[in-house]
Amino acid sequence: MPPGGYFGRVLVADVTSGTSQDRALPDGVLRGYIGGCGLGTWLLWQLGTPGADPLGPAAPLAFVFSPLVGTSLTTSAKFAVVAKSPLTGMLTDALASSQFAIAGKLTGHDAIVIDGRAPELSVLLVDGDGIRLIGAAHLAGLSAADTDRHLRDELGRGWRVAAIGPAGERGVRYATISHDGRHAGRGGLGAVMGAKNLKAVGVRAGTKVATADPAAVLAAARDLRMRSFGPATAKYRELGTLANLLAFNAISALPTRNFQAATFDGAIELAGNVAGDVPGMRRVARSSCASCTIGCEHIYRSRGGKQARVEYENVFALGPMCGVSDPDAVLAASARCDELGIDTISAGGTIAWAMECAERGLVDAPWLRFGDSAALLRALDEIGGRSTPLGSLLAEGSRRASRTVGAGSASFASHVKGLEMPGYEPRTLHAMALGLAVNARGADHNRSGAYEADLSGDLDRLDGGDAHVAAAIETEDRAAVMDSLILCKFLRGVFSDPFTEWAGLLSAVTGWEVSGGELHETARRIVMAKRAYNIREGWQSADDWLPERLLNEPLTLPSGRVATLTGDRLRAMIGSYYNMRGLDPEGRPGPAAVADLGLA
Amino acid sequence: MGTPKAALEWHGSTLLGRTVRILARATSGPVVVVRALGQDLPELPDGTVLADDPHEGKGPVQGIAAGLAALTGRADVAFVSSTDMPFLHPAFVRLVVRVLEGDEGTDVALPVARGYKQPLAAAYRVSLAGAAARLVEEDRLRPAFLFDECRVETLDDAALKGHPLLAALDPDLDSVLNVNTPADYEAARARPAPEVTVQLFGTLAKGGNVSGPHVVRAATVGDAADAMAVAFDRHVTAALNGDQITRDPAMPLAAGDAVFFMSADAGG
Repeated sequence: MPPGGYFGRVLVADVTSGTSQDRALPDGVLRGYIGGCGLGTWLLWQLGTPGADPLGPAAPLAFVFSPLVGTSLTTSAKFAVVAKSPLTGMLTDALASSQFAIAGKLTGHDAIVIDGRAPELSVLLVDGDGIRLIGAAHLAGLSAADTDRHLRDELGRGWRVAAIGPAGERGVRYATISHDGRHAGRGGLGAVMGAKNLKAVGVRAGTKVATADPAAVLAAARDLRMRSFGPATAKYRELGTLANLLAFNAISALPTRNFQAATFDGAIELAGNVAGDVPGMRRVARSSCASCTIGCEHIYRSRGGKQARVEYENVFALGPMCGVSDPDAVLAASARCDELGIDTISAGGTIAWAMECAERGLVDAPWLRFGDSAALLRALDEIGGRSTPLGSLLAEGSRRASRTVGAGSASFASHVKGLEMPGYEPRTLHAMALGLAVNARGADHNRSGAYEADLSGDLDRLDGGDAHVAAAIETEDRAAVMDSLILCKFLRGVFSDPFTEWAGLLSAVTGWEVSGGELHETARRIVMAKRAYNIREGWQSADDWLPERLLNEPLTLPSGRVATLTGDRLRAMIGSYYNMRGLDPEGRPGPAAVADLGLA
Repeated sequence: MGTPKAALEWHGSTLLGRTVRILARATSGPVVVVRALGQDLPELPDGTVLADDPHEGKGPVQGIAAGLAALTGRADVAFVSSTDMPFLHPAFVRLVVRVLEGDEGTDVALPVARGYKQPLAAAYRVSLAGAAARLVEEDRLRPAFLFDECRVETLDDAALKGHPLLAALDPDLDSVLNVNTPADYEAARARPAPEVTVQLFGTLAKGGNVSGPHVVRAATVGDAADAMAVAFDRHVTAALNGDQITRDPAMPLAAGDAVFFMSADAGG
């Protein structure tokens, strides 16, 4: 019998041949990696061919569930999509929330791993009876949302669909996988799926899963639900993450015009209806992910009447990052990204880089200017369709594009390891600077929440040192566990003793006697396994670094203080990070650490 | 005065506590408090370094010597302040320190403000610790003896007010006003708390049109929160002038400060 919350097996589907096999997942692996991002890392190590092209048939694409999926614990209806990223060449793992998680797990598997390449554009269907491939020629070019609607009509009740848009079909390296309007957004997972000639994956529940102590799980769920209504989630519940925009602008942490500034004059235009009297977007509705009691999803309407779901990151990336302050344009650009199926952060970061190139005369696109709304929308269309040479260039992401353009443009390409930067200014958030530099996924704000330390008031955010390093490690460890259980990070503030409380949840579901200490070790193992995977795929020490602009161009704050993040300071923090993580000076784990990973 | 100056109250804070926090705001290094052996001190913020003065009654040069000695190896430049200046402004401290840091040929940046030399509102090179200690040994206890032995750059009213930020924030150079008599103290207490600007973000700004900048009088971040009916609990942080972030309600405010209250659950 597998532990509670698990089936103890992974489905490996070969879409080249249309066949599949179940493989057992040992208890030790489940306990050591939990699920979600953790288990996905282990699976990728085991099932991936070292050095494989991320867009080739030998690169696996894993949909990974978790022991908490299907329980009544709030925010637990989440899954991870894990693959080798076509942007970074390293591991990428994106989380998403929807009924797809529950239906996918209740196919009777803790994960579904897809290998190969279908002979024609197809849909992979998985239920309790196994897999089958159906043709998807009639879905070609449709958005993920339209694909979902078509397939639900065709397949009938009970099917849940994860799909790609046209950008995924065309191999845009930051294409997304979407379902129920939610996106596994970062790292180009949609391109990986498109390269497998899969337009969609449909799943349907066919079984049930038991928990070890249903009464304890129910009690924990009630408690967590009540806590999810409290002040720790108020920001997300009442305003959504867009509330960050004005606050970050006020503290010079809002990347603007491709990181040429950290404040944006047009922020107020984009800030949403926080006081009822701002001129930009107005919030008109709120909704929740599946099995979530927080309800962070806020629907906004611009002055022009257009409605869209907006979050801080897409507004940052398509607004200040590109110098655009017109809320209509930002909403339209967000909606266009969803229709095309591309990651808003990478899209905004790549276009912002191109805007700067155009203004410097490095690319022949005189129409592409910071602040030009029409240019933003045109660039998105050209990227999503790969319809022009410029669109094809930008579809490769800012790192590859800057290598093609040359002329020093790499120095202002805002990415780490090839993944474009999120909306956190490293020069004024030094703990986050480290978190971004060393993260396995690249420039990522979800696997490292080090900004929490910067904004806590406990540290000087402009004077990074060992305390910042320790804080960054702690947030990385917490994220590793939350992303593997899986619980939404917007819940993180409700836990006063997180590892112990999470251990209690995991124990109730699985029947294991897990301690907070064990879970902390699990977190370190997951972080290390990601690093080990990246090393196997070619990671070098130089990949743990930040864009040169951030190290060479200080920012002056309104207070008069100058924010500098020099290469020396970053190097010192990275050195401390390696030391505290037990890595060698080059950032590689030693033999004992590797042995503990259980990857062999 | 009848009461140790350090413990005198000013708008809810002790004079010493306010001074320590003002210096912590204005500088990047540790703050050292020099006290007489066995002297009781009011509550001080975490991280404050205490240095015992082994020669009580030897005057300011002894205090300067002990303080600079405590900073040896930790800083190159120190701002030296008495404990009884309730209007000391961070901008004043920064300006004086910057003058010294900017001129390697100078050992002391000495304000001559409101008609007097201000050795206890001045910046010194930490390397002067030995010279100051020797002067004490020689019973030469006036700061002027120390100044005779080193390179001093004086900053008169014009030089100080020539700095636009300081001219705007402390136009009368009240930073150097100290409290020597009960009348001084009563006069200081009669002055209102500094005028500051407060802005609320996120959920704190909901429920009315309170988000935009509001001018209030508040001597501390906690007072500013109270003035805006903000519960300054673990879910809220404050950013001073868009720069330093704090959860400390006792963090002192000075004229012209801008305080941004925002959710502690930052990020997305």
